[in-house]
Amino acid sequence: MIPNLSEIFSLTAPEIVIAVTLILVVLVDLIWDKNKVPAMFTAALGLIVAGVVILNGMPETGMIPNNYMVVSDKLGLYFKFIIVLTTLFILLFTYDSKEIIESHLRQGEYYALVYGMVLGMFFLTSAVDLILIYIALELLSLSSYVLAGFSDKETRNSEAAVKYLIYGAISSAFMLFGISLIYGLTGTTNLYGVNEVLSTTVVNIYTLGFAVILIIAGIGYKISAVPFHFWTPDVYEGSPITITAYLSVASKAAGFALLIRFVSITFIDHVKADGEWILNGAFDWQTILIVLALLTMTVGNLSALWQKNIKRLLAYSSVAHAGYILLGVAVLTNLGLVSVMIYFAVYMMMNLGAFYVVMLVANKTGSEHISQFDGIGYTMPYAGVALTIFLVSLTGLPPTAGFIGKLYLFLALLDSNMLMVAFIALLNTVISLYYYVRILKHMYLKNVAEMPEKIETRGYSTVVLSLLVVPVLFFGIYWTPLIDFAKYCVEFVIK
Amino acid sequence: MEGMPILSLITFLPVLGMVIILLLPSRNEAGIKYTALGITLLQVILAVMMLSGFNYNLPGVTDESTFQFVEKFRWIEIQEVSWLGTVKVDYFLGVDGISMPMVLLTAIVSLIAVISSWKIPKAIKGFFALFLLLDTGMMGVFVALDLFLFYIFWELMLLPMYFLIGIWGGPRKEYAAIKFFIYTLLGSVFILLVMIGLYFSATETLADGSKVFTFNIIELANQANYNSDGILSPFNPQNWRYIAYIALFVGFAIKIPMFPFHTWLPDAHVEAPTPISVILAGVLLKMGTYGILRIAFPVFPEVTRELMWYIALFGMINIIYGAFVALSQKDFKKLIAYSSVSHMGYVLLGMASLTSTGINGAILQMFNHGTITAMLFLIVGVIYDRAHTRGIDDFGGLATKLPVYTGFVTVAFFAAIGLPGLSGFVSEALVFVGAFSVESIRVVTVISTLGILLGAAYMLWTLQRIFFGKFNEKWEGLTDIDSREMAMFIPLTIIIIFLGVYPSAMIDIMNTSVSALAEFMNSAGNNLLGGM
Amino acid sequence: MLHVGLHHFLVVSSILFSLGLYAIVTRKNAILVLMGVELVLNAANINFVAFARYGDFGASGQLNALFVIVLAAAEAAIALAIVINLYKHFSHVNIDEADNLKE
Repeated sequence: MIPNLSEIFSLTAPEIVIAVTLILVVLVDLIWDKNKVPAMFTAALGLIVAGVVILNGMPETGMIPNNYMVVSDKLGLYFKFIIVLTTLFILLFTYDSKEIIESHLRQGEYYALVYGMVLGMFFLTSAVDLILIYIALELLSLSSYVLAGFSDKETRNSEAAVKYLIYGAISSAFMLFGISLIYGLTGTTNLYGVNEVLSTTVVNIYTLGFAVILIIAGIGYKISAVPFHFWTPDVYEGSPITITAYLSVASKAAGFALLIRFVSITFIDHVKADGEWILNGAFDWQTILIVLALLTMTVGNLSALWQKNIKRLLAYSSVAHAGYILLGVAVLTNLGLVSVMIYFAVYMMMNLGAFYVVMLVANKTGSEHISQFDGIGYTMPYAGVALTIFLVSLTGLPPTAGFIGKLYLFLALLDSNMLMVAFIALLNTVISLYYYVRILKHMYLKNVAEMPEKIETRGYSTVVLSLLVVPVLFFGIYWTPLIDFAKYCVEFVIK
Repeated sequence: MEGMPILSLITFLPVLGMVIILLLPSRNEAGIKYTALGITLLQVILAVMMLSGFNYNLPGVTDESTFQFVEKFRWIEIQEVSWLGTVKVDYFLGVDGISMPMVLLTAIVSLIAVISSWKIPKAIKGFFALFLLLDTGMMGVFVALDLFLFYIFWELMLLPMYFLIGIWGGPRKEYAAIKFFIYTLLGSVFILLVMIGLYFSATETLADGSKVFTFNIIELANQANYNSDGILSPFNPQNWRYIAYIALFVGFAIKIPMFPFHTWLPDAHVEAPTPISVILAGVLLKMGTYGILRIAFPVFPEVTRELMWYIALFGMINIIYGAFVALSQKDFKKLIAYSSVSHMGYVLLGMASLTSTGINGAILQMFNHGTITAMLFLIVGVIYDRAHTRGIDDFGGLATKLPVYTGFVTVAFFAAIGLPGLSGFVSEALVFVGAFSVESIRVVTVISTLGILLGAAYMLWTLQRIFFGKFNEKWEGLTDIDSREMAMFIPLTIIIIFLGVYPSAMIDIMNTSVSALAEFMNSAGNNLLGGM
Repeated sequence: MLHVGLHHFLVVSSILFSLGLYAIVTRKNAILVLMGVELVLNAANINFVAFARYGDFGASGQLNALFVIVLAAAEAAIALAIVINLYKHFSHVNIDEADNLKE
């Protein structure tokens, strides 16, 4: 069956936009050798166009053409939209980032690589074929390895890149082996096909289990779940801070979209009227996901307590947040899915905001040790207040959007009667307070010898900060539009 | 007066003040201070206006139609989805006889605290901005009738308190601040869990007949609203109501502070600057007992009846333990802090009695403790400002040098002891009468009377050590109180004496609601125990 | 004559997988670890081709193997570039000893 060309275009319109822009960015960079601004503008423009295309594609319900490798449904579009927003913010951050500006001749490649990541993530969120998943994952990972080692000046960048590379290569190799085993068991790599085979025939449970564990290793590496998270602190600490921020939000989002699709499409029998997912019994996902989630949360929070480098602290904190989000997936209901999507939207804003302030401080003081934050509350008042709001939101206190994210998570947990799990998650929130407040303590409570001078920050930084702070507060108070949008998108198609 | 959203005004006026203060330049100290003063003064005026329009005969409590100054509108509404139902959260404010005294207390104590903060040494702008934010949180807790809104206001006061203690406090301020924050957050987390459990267990019938999950406290108290398989439903044989009640109670108890969750209080009080100690003792501690009265009692009446002896027991422990530890203190402020623990024990005892007298006494004690302990902390503040030490044994014979000050001190101390003629006596007496009348907790009550004796002991002994006896020459240079400090003491003294001779002024406000609450607590949920 | 069946291929790929795993776990030199990764990738390739051939799945398995080969090459290129970068900074390529980041 020869596929219909216009159908393909409508399915993959966002990806096509990104691919074209990628080529344009490389060309623009070649043409305007010395001046890097046109490349950045092209990059930003491409993202805006992609965003518009995504929003336009929303109202149609997802069609699954048989045997295609991608679907265009609202779940994928939602995650793509979040990725586009994140990338736009990263571009805004890059303009302010000392590390990237310093390597200014290679800046064009920076944008091209970021686009490579975006392309990989886009495919990852809408792929339904295991091979395409692998290709997209590799595209994403390879671009990120290079970006992690982007700045040439310090040794820690290359160390971060190598660690990331080694872990990533190992995980994706294992994942591929798992995929090959599934291919052998079911004869197809298309997730819908696998679903059919699993529901009709009985396959060897050990091989299937082994294969799925290998695939979980691959996905777990991307979302920084314990015990696949060991790369996270080193890579986050060593990479340039814009890349750290980007990895912590966007590639996690793509990884979670992948996880959701993998679990839901391959293993779901049907969805009940009240939103509960009924699995086809081949594999006990709920226990595994809950155990992973609880481990991830706890290890992330406990490890963060000891950290002195703030990027490392935020790295462990993002591991902990991955744990909370995993819980949202683990409930295996539509409400859980809504909570995951809301949490991501909120997490994007607060995590990016926190990293941005850290970047501003690192620009001024040249170090990321937590003691550099002493007195920042007085020398950079607006940044201090913004960081306070972001930290409060990360803890999950009202009236910030972070509270809403956690609230929906607990609503989903209690709706499925998982009381003990909710309780452990809440205890983790209290633990996380301790290290978030420690940053506040350094910013405001440490006695500085005399009232220090205010450090000038550019108006640009203030604007970007406001773009992040205002939604965090706004959605903490009036969050209906967020929920509506998420609910509207929870309609991925299951056969 | 009709139609003016007075509750929203009184709650959010401080936020307006905070915005104004943030926009003023830091150098304009006078402007900042007078803005804060003006805002709190306005709050007091609004509270008095509310009082004059308050109908003493409407019970409120579990009857939504008899709440006063109600403002209710749909805040969040997420439309019907087959698997989610309609999610709604209301912006629901209202007062009844139980919350009216608290609103008054918050307004008055906030004003006094602002006057007391006039001499704050550094970062004036930040201090008053955070203070006003705290004010909003406190006021909101007492007027919110939707559990979600209540929780938001409850959490709202955590961060300002952390900063207020941690930046302007004493030598161990960082430790005290983080201890306060984590302890209270742990309690809040319990409350959140129970809140969500309740959400899924009860439905409210809307005007168009549809049933939705709700956070509305009044609806949650109505047992008929629970569906049969809700996790906290009384109809569900496997229900978790006992555990949930204990969790909810502990969450509120941390704030009272109830033994053994009280360890944050001495540190927080000692390290906090005087105005913050005043707010902490005057208002924040009441939020715990208010939460129990407003939420834990009406929603779980049958569990309360089962556990009331334990509540009374903990009240007794608070009274006796707090008093004993106060007796051994060398630091004046820490002594007052432990006396606070002791006095809140009376509130618990009164609440546990589930009688109209007892609960009247408890709420009156909440109000009185607010004013009396606020005054006590102001007293400590005055002496610390001058002498820069709080050691009781460092002083002696101050009465000769500071006669006016000693006069006020005597009033406050005797009120704390419970001398008849001052307000403390009435509330403690009512608590004991109410608690004694209940057979099951009679023994506990009798033991608790020891607390009065101990209270007299440590207070009089402290009075003796600091103010009477031989004058300690070291303090030759101290000055008596000035007009600003008089402005702080006089209103409180007037209230203490007024309520001592005419307590009906306050009791009449709360009586109808308290009677309704007591009746509800003793009868509701009866038919549900013993199986369906 | 030895009749070569599916299981023979699977045994070979399992052996390769184990060897690759061993290399990854025990080697300190970054390039040797990457060799291990390549072994695992090729084990997967053998799986794909064998299943396609013996399971009557059509040509999809072999197609997948071609994709993987290309990806492995790209990965190797980037990986070696990063390893060269590492060598420039540290004068060795032992991943255990490149330890500046922690503390």
